[in-house]
Amino acid sequence: MEALKQRRTHMKLRDVLGAVVFFLFGAVTTILSVQMPIGTLRAAGSGLFPLCLGILLMALSALFIAKVFWAERGQERKNIRTVEERGSSWPVVAFVTVMALTTLLLKPVGYPLASFLLMVGLLTTLGLRRWPLSLALSLLAAVVSYLLFVYLLKIPLPKGLPGI
Amino acid sequence: MLESLQQLATGFGVALSPQNLFYCLAGATVGTLVGVLPGLGPIAGIALLIPVTFGLNPTSAIIMLAGIYYGAMYGGSTTSILLNVPGETASVITCIDGYKMAQKGKAGKALAICAIGSFIAGTLGIFGLVFLAPPLADAALAFGPAEYFSLMVFGFIVLSNVTGGSFLKSLMMAVVGLIIGTIGLDPVTGEGRFAFDSPSLLGGIEFVAVAIGLFGIGEVLVNAGQPAELLEQKVVMPRLLELYPSLQDLKESIFAILRGAGLGFGVGLVPGPAPVIATYASYMMEKKVSRHPEEFGQGAIKGVAGPEAANNAACQSAFIPLFAIGIPFAPPTAILLGALLIHGVTPGPLMIREHPELFWGVIASMYIGNFILLLLNLPFVPLFANILRIPKKILLPFVTLLCLTGMYSVNNSMFDVWTMILFGAVGFLLRKWAYEGAPLLLALVLGPKLEVAFRQSLMISHGSFDIFINRPISLAFLGAIFLCLLIPLVRVVYGRLRSWAATG
Repeated sequence: MEALKQRRTHMKLRDVLGAVVFFLFGAVTTILSVQMPIGTLRAAGSGLFPLCLGILLMALSALFIAKVFWAERGQERKNIRTVEERGSSWPVVAFVTVMALTTLLLKPVGYPLASFLLMVGLLTTLGLRRWPLSLALSLLAAVVSYLLFVYLLKIPLPKGLPGI
Repeated sequence: MLESLQQLATGFGVALSPQNLFYCLAGATVGTLVGVLPGLGPIAGIALLIPVTFGLNPTSAIIMLAGIYYGAMYGGSTTSILLNVPGETASVITCIDGYKMAQKGKAGKALAICAIGSFIAGTLGIFGLVFLAPPLADAALAFGPAEYFSLMVFGFIVLSNVTGGSFLKSLMMAVVGLIIGTIGLDPVTGEGRFAFDSPSLLGGIEFVAVAIGLFGIGEVLVNAGQPAELLEQKVVMPRLLELYPSLQDLKESIFAILRGAGLGFGVGLVPGPAPVIATYASYMMEKKVSRHPEEFGQGAIKGVAGPEAANNAACQSAFIPLFAIGIPFAPPTAILLGALLIHGVTPGPLMIREHPELFWGVIASMYIGNFILLLLNLPFVPLFANILRIPKKILLPFVTLLCLTGMYSVNNSMFDVWTMILFGAVGFLLRKWAYEGAPLLLALVLGPKLEVAFRQSLMISHGSFDIFINRPISLAFLGAIFLCLLIPLVRVVYGRLRSWAATG
């Protein structure tokens, strides 16, 4: 019973946190829109439409926050898939970090090496510690994607310093 | 009607050219592959492969992308039946009885009835397209900016109502999508908005980056966050026992297929994720009309035949609003709209006249594509399902590499890749907070059109909102919006009153 109560509080907090982020997004949009020409209804300026949207988003978020506090418990989670509750967030952070780092490396080191490093990084992040297998899979993926995109589809990919 | 048939014959001439036949086959095959991969549905599949079509003429490109769309819908059903793993959302219903049939050693029957049902529904759907699209396109010529504005708002409201989650959350997502759509040049005055002096932002946010990020990378990140034992898991493929359904099975299923096809076609014309709604509605209908409703959920062949037919028919009729009015009512067709625009074709009432070879060619290719899918799905099912033998910890990095490379190749832009990664992280968070990505994507694509329609309407009316009420078609859509908003409210109030009455 206590666990259920905790879970409900967690869900409520999560809903409120999400809505607050949306509210802030709406507020920033509104502030930035006001700095643009608003014009009149007859000849609307470039800021009018985003201004309306910013205000609408703030109103909807505020309404949602109010609903979270007043609505009956457990109504929100109907047929929607949510993230696996048992998992941890660090592999996700590591996954995104590896993607970001290899994207940074894409231009300097070129596509073949960057794609190889991406595969090694992601396989390691997901727990594949058998290095020969990991390296072989990464090499295979890098070669296949290179052949597919560069030779078959004729798409120019960054060559980087190696010049491949 | 005769003219439509003549045009269709011309369309078959276009679709049966060796080049287009090849792209139709390629699209259907790749689509099936994408549909078999859990997480990568038709949206990610089309978004990922748009760059591949850059070198093609518009007709071949759309034939290939449409092939991916209905191929992915087919592929999703295969893993639902064999492994209880829905490849995409519209296949969830097929899992219920399809997987039960597979467990009883009737996997082949289920797969075959699924392919046959889809083929029959596809065939009927083609006729619907042929006869309904041209008159609808003519009617669409009566649409002015006010009508388009009301119709698009109606689309957002309906989509937000049917995504399965919270209505308010979906509406918020749609508004966020509209805001993101305003980044870049103002479509009317040409002034920069939210660009912060960045030339990349001035060009606007690439919708493919948002689509791959939210759906492709978002799904990968959700899986990456799963416990280690789930990542190790590989799905073992069962053996295909009996391939063909008996005459009795066909007799049992034929009416379910016909009902599903009719229902799916109708639902596809309405805004929203049509295939998902169509499959749910068909399953419910079959259960209601059946003499043995208790068999549903235990491996009833009608529970597979009806929803699968509905799924395919809804996919086809979803092309009608896209081609005839130029407004996509579902996320996959929204991406197809983007692809059409990239290729310099503006869908809408004039498309049938200006690009008849494209319009009729794509329609004819759908029929051919359905036939190809029938051939593909029967003998090659074990081959496709083999992909699922790969453990997730190996599959996810491959998918990520494909997404990153595909995204870069759209515009050779690092900015797009960063946008995709950002939206991947956003997609993960949104999933964590139980928000649906579809309304955002649809709003992003429709946003600029909505704004132009809104501003043009006000210009015409000299700043008066009466224009939205004085025009009958617009008023009808506004009335429908009002009802859509009112019905849930009435339900809530009624529910509260009943619970208060019950508790005294």
